[in-house]
Amino acid sequence: MSEQNNKRWFSLNLGKAKKQEFYSCSCGKTAGSCGSHEEAKDGFDQVFDVKMNRRTAFKQLTASLMIGAGAVSTSCSMIAGNDRKEKAQIDWEEQFKGNYKLMTVEEKKATVDRLVRSYQLRKGKTISMSSKDAEEGVLFGYAFNISKCQGYMDCVNACVEENNQDRNSQMQYIRIHEMKDGKGFNFNEADDNYYHEVPAEGHFYMGTQCFHCDNPPCVEVCPVQATWREEDGLVVVDYDWCVGCRYCMAACPYDGRRFNWSTPEVPEEEVNKDQHYLGNRMRKKGVMEKCTFCVQRSRAGKNPACVDACPTGARIFGNLLDPNSTIRWVLENKKVFRLKEDLGTEPKFWYFMD
Amino acid sequence: MNNIAYNIRYILFFLLVFSACKHSESEYHNITDKIEAESKRYHGTSISSESLLEEIHTLQITEGEHTFLIPERKGQIRSYACTECHSIPLSELQKEGDVKKAHWDIKLVHADVNTMNCITCHNGNAMDDLQSLTGNSIDFNRSDKLCSQCHTRQFEDWKGGAHGKKVAGWAPPRASMTCVNCHNPHNPGFKSRWPSRYNTQKVKERE
Repeated sequence: MSEQNNKRWFSLNLGKAKKQEFYSCSCGKTAGSCGSHEEAKDGFDQVFDVKMNRRTAFKQLTASLMIGAGAVSTSCSMIAGNDRKEKAQIDWEEQFKGNYKLMTVEEKKATVDRLVRSYQLRKGKTISMSSKDAEEGVLFGYAFNISKCQGYMDCVNACVEENNQDRNSQMQYIRIHEMKDGKGFNFNEADDNYYHEVPAEGHFYMGTQCFHCDNPPCVEVCPVQATWREEDGLVVVDYDWCVGCRYCMAACPYDGRRFNWSTPEVPEEEVNKDQHYLGNRMRKKGVMEKCTFCVQRSRAGKNPACVDACPTGARIFGNLLDPNSTIRWVLENKKVFRLKEDLGTEPKFWYFMD
Repeated sequence: MNNIAYNIRYILFFLLVFSACKHSESEYHNITDKIEAESKRYHGTSISSESLLEEIHTLQITEGEHTFLIPERKGQIRSYACTECHSIPLSELQKEGDVKKAHWDIKLVHADVNTMNCITCHNGNAMDDLQSLTGNSIDFNRSDKLCSQCHTRQFEDWKGGAHGKKVAGWAPPRASMTCVNCHNPHNPGFKSRWPSRYNTQKVKERE
């Protein structure tokens, strides 16, 4: 095909795959089986080994140069303290780290250690941050008993405190919808910010949050793969990889995602210091976040904060793969349903009534 | 020769189109299939609730096909054993006159007076145990047996895990709270009250 290489005109590459791809799988891999074509690139490779146009290249370079310049100036300066040098070093390494999803266990450990150290240097407080991966034989599922929920909102309280959500914009992952009896599940007429004694006469209550779909549309639309479904079914976000385009927010049919329009503010004494990289660690401005079924708790065997906080026992959480788990009993013995099942999103969040 | 090469190329191309990788679709049609298939390979997990339950005194019960832990109760009752005061039958104790009043503030708000009074559950002659409707004695640790005499539907759900809460953690071993951990047996209903949170920011945004 020397003819092709020598051509001197410009042509658009409209779906014409390169020659070698004809003999391979459509995923572009020439060897190995389909489905296993994710190459583990990390760190510098992920940042630099991508095609980009001039504008994004300049953006990347400027951002990196700023940090680099800062790092160089502090590390070369004789007067700068060791702390500042270390901070600059951490910033540098954090800027060029890879996507968490592709990191090895050691790399995850390293980034978590950096973040803990960074927090220590900045705030003088020590947090504990986990990078615990999904455990084998676990698939998390959730059931919500509509007849039990009284609308007390204790779950919302517990969630905000557990997950270090922005107090300024009063971000909340959970919404409790107050619905009129006899109107069905009418979300248009439901009130999710009531303030009167509950339960109100002639109303029932229904909670929504991220449903951790097994076929999550939010993951599909993410242009940078900053959000994905973990092996234990949790749909998580790498806050450091998210570019804040909010496609996922638009794609979610359940209003499950939240965006940080401003820098999240949590009073220092209220910060939950038991954190997970994919969970409740401090976010920054311009990134998405959402319910993670309290990954920092659930992967340690605890219930999500909302489950423990609910005074009426309307919330049931457990391992869908364990045939003896209570969540399995609920699914097999109660009349359960999910929201918008026809979309094929396969939420792992079921509703039932007594 | 050229023709054959082209033909092969076309055949390969169509094979490729029709057998294209399903990129992000999972191998299961839906979540129910996935749960069913994958739980066949389930051999337990390394995650356990044991460390969370360490400090809590529990006892194992078996109800039907379910075996699980419930919190021990007697140790939680402030003045158990009851016979430390109730040394003589209640009728005689009341006759004695000048005695210290205890649990005088208990008001029974449970069913109605035709259905229930104190001795529906308590036995004035054997205060250390509860008693069933037929007069059999029931241990204070197993007060759920008392509730299940009437609340059969709730009892079924509780045994399976659809009613009530876990003591701590989702992982095995299962430890479920028992009836009296959430319901006051003398006044078991949930009260109406103000929600614990109100989002003022949301109100502003909607204005």
